[in-house]
Parts: sequence; C-alpha cells; structure tokens
Amino acid sequence: MVIDLDKCVGCQACSTACKAENNVPHGSPDEQRSRRDIFWNKVIAVTNGKYPKVNTELIPMPCMHCDHAPCVTVCPAKATYRREDGIIVQDFRRCLGCKYCIVACPYGARSFNSKEQEEKEYHRQDLPPDRNVWGKWPFPTRTHGVVEKCTFCFHRIDQGIKEGKKIGTEVVPACVEDCPTEARKFGDLDDTGSEVSRLLASRGWIRLREELDTKCKVYYLLK
Amino acid sequence: MGLTFSKIEGKSREFYLLLILLSAFTLIGFICFMVSYISGHHVLGSSSIIPWGMPITITIYLIGLSAGSLILSSLTYVFGKEEYRPIARLAVYLAIILIFGAMIGIALDLGRPEKTWRLFMFFVLNNMRSMFAINGILYGGYFLIGVIYLGAIFAEKVKFIKMMGKIAIGWAALVHMGTGAIFGFIATRPIFFSPIKPFEFLSAAMVSGLALLIIAVVATFKFTKRNLNQELIFSLSRLLRILIIVLTVMVLIDKLTHLYSPHRDPTIWLLTGPYSWIFWGLQVGFAYILPMIILFHPQYGKNIKGVMVASFLVVIGIFGERFSLVIPGTAYPLPFYPGKIEGIWGMAGSFPVTPVESFMSLGMFTLMGLLFLVGLKNLELLPVDQSGQQTPEPAKT
Repeated sequence: MVIDLDKCVGCQACSTACKAENNVPHGSPDEQRSRRDIFWNKVIAVTNGKYPKVNTELIPMPCMHCDHAPCVTVCPAKATYRREDGIIVQDFRRCLGCKYCIVACPYGARSFNSKEQEEKEYHRQDLPPDRNVWGKWPFPTRTHGVVEKCTFCFHRIDQGIKEGKKIGTEVVPACVEDCPTEARKFGDLDDTGSEVSRLLASRGWIRLREELDTKCKVYYLLK
Repeated sequence: MGLTFSKIEGKSREFYLLLILLSAFTLIGFICFMVSYISGHHVLGSSSIIPWGMPITITIYLIGLSAGSLILSSLTYVFGKEEYRPIARLAVYLAIILIFGAMIGIALDLGRPEKTWRLFMFFVLNNMRSMFAINGILYGGYFLIGVIYLGAIFAEKVKFIKMMGKIAIGWAALVHMGTGAIFGFIATRPIFFSPIKPFEFLSAAMVSGLALLIIAVVATFKFTKRNLNQELIFSLSRLLRILIIVLTVMVLIDKLTHLYSPHRDPTIWLLTGPYSWIFWGLQVGFAYILPMIILFHPQYGKNIKGVMVASFLVVIGIFGERFSLVIPGTAYPLPFYPGKIEGIWGMAGSFPVTPVESFMSLGMFTLMGLLFLVGLKNLELLPVDQSGQQTPEPAKT
C-alpha cells in the first residue's frame, strides 16, 4: 500500500470505512477514555515546530504488514502469521489472548477485543435487515478475548482473485476505496508495472520506524 | 541424616482461622476471575495501550520468588552446606507452589483462559521462535523437575537428589532468564529492551526468593513454636546483602545504558514521570536502599526483627521492580513519526486500579498461602524440634 501524505486531508474516512467493512465496534466514550476502543486503522496528527511556524502532518496508519513482523515472531500459538502474498493475518480461533503481539508491535496496530460483540452491533446498511436472507456474516466473525488488527481486507482480495478481477484496480481494501482524495493506492509491490511501483519510483518515500528493520509494506510518499 | 522432618499438627484454632481466611480470599479472587472472564477484560485495568496488568506483574514476581527459592535449596543438596538443611525442604516446596501460582497467573491474564493448553503444544501448534512458547517448555519442565526433586528428597535418595538438584538449579536459572527474555527481546519497547534483562531478572529472583524464604522460615518456625537457629538466619541475611548489591549494580547498568540514546527519552520519562514514585520509592527505596541500611547496620543487622523487616521490604520492593517494568514499559507512547504526536496516540497510557483486578491479585497470593499451609500440614517439610518438646512422627526413611 502506498499513502500519499500530500493528498491526505485527515478526514478519517479510512477509519470509518474500515469500521464499517470489518464491523469493528465504534467504542463508547467510556471505552475511549480507558483506551479500550478497537482501531484497525487510525490517523495520527504529528506537529513539528511552534506557532506561528508550525507544521502538522497527518499520518494514516493501518497495519504495516511487515516482512519481518515482530508480532509473528512473538506469537506463541501461530495465531498471527504471514500469508504467502505477504499479508499478516490473525486467526481468532488460535489466538489465546496473551497480548504479547500488542507489546511487540512497533506501530500500535493491534487492539484487544475484550467483549463479545452483540448481534445488534452488526450494522450493515447494505444488507437486508432479515439475517435469514443472507445467512452467514459476510465478514470475519469477531470474538471476545482475542487480539485484532487490520487484514488489508483479505476477504475482498481472496474473493477478487476467485472472480478473476485485477487486484489494485478493480478490487481494493475498503480504506483505499473510500479515500475521497485518492491518497491511498493498493497493489502488488513486486509487479513493476503496477501503479504502486510507478508511484514509488516517481517520488521520495519513507516507511515508519525504519530503525527497527521491520521492512513494512506501507509506504508514505512525502509532501 | 541426623535431622528428621515432620508435618505440623494443624489442629490449633489459629491454623483453622488462617485457613478459612485464606480460602475466603481465594474464593473472592476466583469470583473476580469469573467476572473478568464472563464480562470481558474491560473490568481489569489493562487496555490496548497497557496490555499487561497485574496478573502478569504478579506472575513474573512469583516466578522470581520460585526460582530464587529453588536455587537456594540447592545450597544444601548440591553444594553440601549442611547448615541450611533444616529449611531446604521448605524451599523446594515453596518453589513448586510459586511456579504453579505463576502459571495460574498467566492463565488468568489470557483473553481466552480455556485455551491455555495451546501454550503447551510444543513444536506442534506452537511457534517456537516465540519467547512465550519457549517459556512454556521452561515453566512446565520446571514444575515437573520440582515435583520429582521434592519426591526424591522425601524418599531420601541421596545420589538422585544431588543429580536432580543440579538439573533443578540450572533449569531454575533458565526459567528466570527466559522470563527476562520475554521482556528483554522486545525492541519496540525501549524500557524493556536490554540484553542484561535476563541476568537482572535472575538476580532479582535470587534476592526476592531469599527474602521470602527468610520470612517463611522465621514465621513458620515461630508459629509452630520450633527453636530457630539464629545463626542460620544471619548467614542467609549476609547472602541477601551480597545479592542485593549484585542486583543494584545490574539495574544501575541497565538504566545507565538506557540513558544514552535512542532509549533516553523513555528512560527519563520512567525516572521522572508519573510512574517514577514506583521506581524510586518501591524499587530503589524498598528493595535496595532501606534493606541495605538495615542489613549493614551494626545493631539492626544482628537482630531477627531487623532481618525480618529488611526481608519484608525486599519482597515488597521487588514487586515494585516488576511493576515499574511491566506497566511503564508499555505505557510510554510509541514514537510512530518524528515530532509531537497529537491527541490520544501521543499520550502515555494510564493504569487504573480496579476492584476486580485487585481482588483477583489478592486471591492469587492467598491461594499460594493456602497451598503453603496445606503442604505444611500434609507433607514432612519442617525439621523436628531438637529440644524434644514435641513428639511428632519421624520422617520415613
């Protein structure tokens, strides 16, 4: 994924789209105060300098899906693992909830889900109200007592590959699809012809916390 | 084998009162655990920012006490220091119940405690690159070795005891260094990340284990009205002095290296920030400075009460050391991007003290006390009083 910091306006549409797509609970004010609300995607604001000479950068932060992922190394139960296409996924059935991965993640990308989600919390406006019509949940079933994180919407990608669609143009994660300024681009970094490779060749880019050598796969194009 | 061991009678009113009190608190702790399990971990103080709270703090604390206690028991059985023989059985038993408590502590902290068995599926379902999984082997093996060791001691098989003692001492050191490695290998958290952590943990284990042993021995002997050889306690307290100095040097080196960049800011935050009172007050004050003053004092250091007070301070202080590692270590905000991170993502986490967590923690400790009492009643852990005022049955040979 490539995120253009020049285009990002910090509207949090990606965070909202992620919550809608993956059915991440919105979190009550009480949960927010105690910092127990779940974020798969967040947008942070970083200020440098003092008024009147001040610069604020808006950094959208999904999971970085690192090649050398600290969370995969520390997980005792193989609950979080790297798929062949490089996406780091979390298997809720294997997860013990030991929270070691939260401690090890350098990007704060992981959240602990402490409570079982009630059925009324599943808001999907695009689905008919009667659950019998559409059967199983069309998104990963969430459960309490485990650690969750961004999945790069792998359910969309898998579905797209099955249907023979082109990943990166026709099928993208929800945050990419929803970004009003098209600051986010998604695609195959190994494919030299993809748009993300073209963007990385055209501009200067950074990755966050390079000093930890995580080799993460979310690139930021600088202003 | 001039020394025989016996069970305590355990029929006095005080014994039953203590038993009932401890059981009540253990029950309350269990109820609190069920509350946290059924309604979710949000009743505990931990959050996504500070994922590890009291249970993990207590766990590493108990592991420390356990490993230290076992290593000290080997003074008799491996190194042949006969003067410690009266308390060696007690030390091994203490080590076993403490590691058991530590494993319970880990299970309590899991979001899914019913999946604890997955931690022990070595090489099958486990990722063996994880320090947690490696520690699963260490803890499980330690518990088994401890039980076999105690069994051998009861059976009085001298050669076998010596062999098991050697294995146990090495394994205990490994257990504690492994626990330190859980924290020391995490490059993300500057307060954790340090190659000296395993050794610091090991020395902290020896210090706290020895201090707890002194308390347990003095209290048990007093409660059961046995004659205590005072010289024994003073030789232990001299050992305690040396170990505290070693630990202080370790922590000093750790913090000094962390005062250099890139870990400078988090360390200064630890030393001056909202959790600094735990570091300076509990860790440095209670665990290092005050006990050292007492133990080196020409008068108080030669007094059972003085040694007891120092040991109490050490046991509390080492708990402070664990606390000031686990909680501030994760509370410090992660530097995602150079500059000042605005809003909630740039704020340090806070750790509220919640009643459920407090009573659960208390329950863990009372469970240890309960197991200790049950062991005293049912196992031959204490030496028979040489003055012959009691007539307990002698140990089987």
